[in-house]
Amino acid sequence: MHYIEVENLAFHYKEEPVLENISFVVGPKDFVMLTGENGAAKTTLLRNILGLLKPSKGRVQLSKKNQYGEKLVVGYVSQQIASFNAGFPSTVLELVQSGRYQRGKWFKRLDQADKEHVRRSLESVGMWDMRHKKIGELSGGQKQRISIARVFATDPDLFILDEPTTGMDVHSREEFYQLLRHNCLEHGKGILMVTHDHEEIRHYANKHIELVRKEGSPWRCFSMDSCKELSKLPS
Amino acid sequence: MEMFLYGFMQRAFQASILISLIAPILGLFLILRRQSLMADTLSHISLAGVALGLLMGVNPTWTNILVVAVIAILLEFLRQMYRTYSEISVAILMSAGMALALVLMGLNDGGATLSMTQFLFGSIVTISEQQIWMLIALTAIIGVLYFIFRKPMYILTFDEETAFTAGLPIKMMSILFNVLTGVTIAIIMPIVGALLVSAIIILPAAISLRLSKSFMGVIFLGMVIALAGMLSGLVASYELGTPPGASITLILMIIFAAATLLKFLWRQVRLGRLKRT
Repeated sequence: MHYIEVENLAFHYKEEPVLENISFVVGPKDFVMLTGENGAAKTTLLRNILGLLKPSKGRVQLSKKNQYGEKLVVGYVSQQIASFNAGFPSTVLELVQSGRYQRGKWFKRLDQADKEHVRRSLESVGMWDMRHKKIGELSGGQKQRISIARVFATDPDLFILDEPTTGMDVHSREEFYQLLRHNCLEHGKGILMVTHDHEEIRHYANKHIELVRKEGSPWRCFSMDSCKELSKLPS
Repeated sequence: MEMFLYGFMQRAFQASILISLIAPILGLFLILRRQSLMADTLSHISLAGVALGLLMGVNPTWTNILVVAVIAILLEFLRQMYRTYSEISVAILMSAGMALALVLMGLNDGGATLSMTQFLFGSIVTISEQQIWMLIALTAIIGVLYFIFRKPMYILTFDEETAFTAGLPIKMMSILFNVLTGVTIAIIMPIVGALLVSAIIILPAAISLRLSKSFMGVIFLGMVIALAGMLSGLVASYELGTPPGASITLILMIIFAAATLLKFLWRQVRLGRLKRT
């Protein structure tokens, strides 16, 4: 089964083509990295997949169910997270706990297991000690970490991550990739991640999609080079 | 204490307590959704609703609720249409509401001028039993809706895209929130006045936003601030013979200034302590 199916997708801003001939799938246990130069419409592609934008042509299908036949839960970390609403009146703990709401807790209290999940998520990004801080008082890198903690707290079936490691040091990035790989291999999660660190991630991902500028087009239009299978390191 | 012997003052206090419970909830969501001025727009629109009721010779509260609810839906569509410059929708409808109210008043041949003044500046003398019951029902509805939908609303106000990807019906939620805000304004506008109703909704949340760290903390502190401002404003209004909306707004502004000053001083003290250590 596939969580994401993209078939011949094209996206135009007004008349101008931005993306063309995009086709790939992401399923459980897939760790797909999406790369491309600056302005290669990587975020636009993610927004098409999430339904925030409508494709001009082609088909995007986001599965309704996960591999166990339950409702598919998607965790999304956007690129602009560092600039998120600084005045929002929330503590780090409140925000990360809100990641659990998607796990059937919109109208129920969070139980002990949920709280334990939140604690582990915050610890995994080294932010447990800062849980009572107001989110507006955090630095850009810390905001990035709690948005990652929030998505881990959600425990989604499918991670869609848009340059999630911006502002993180090498050691933190490595820990983050290992966590993602663990989620992918041990828990069957699907991952689609936009990144510039493709050399770093190629040891963790199993597929690589590169968006390249379409030759001969008068527009700044990008299409897929290919969807390469990568050799994976043993888990 | 003699003021409590008057039925109209008892009703005014009852209304103030009820408004204090709902204003910070709506106010906080309006501020976080960058819609603080929406309350102002809807209060201008509600003048048109009142003018329409007076022109048609029906209870203006009902025409007001109807008109404001329709415009609240239109506001959401305009906000989506002008996503980048969402304040345009506020500017367009605020002017349209005022213009419509003036035209409808003109058509009424000046007969409703006195009533319109009451709606513009508010009147505690005119609070009826029916208005109190409407406020009780409204407070109960907002309280229940907040309790049920506080988590989806938290995500919606934090980030609409996150809410969308979490599978929340963001358009429907936004429209319902706008309608609820509109109906609230239509009901409390005759008490505090169209010109200041938005201040009474926004200010308590704006003050507590500066003082509290957590989402729930802002709402509960906002209720305490609203209660303090509304009740003391009401007493001042009675004692000084000033309009209730204006008295309450001024007291809330004083609380706002005091809170800002205290926060500044507290920060200086903390900085001083940090430097010493």
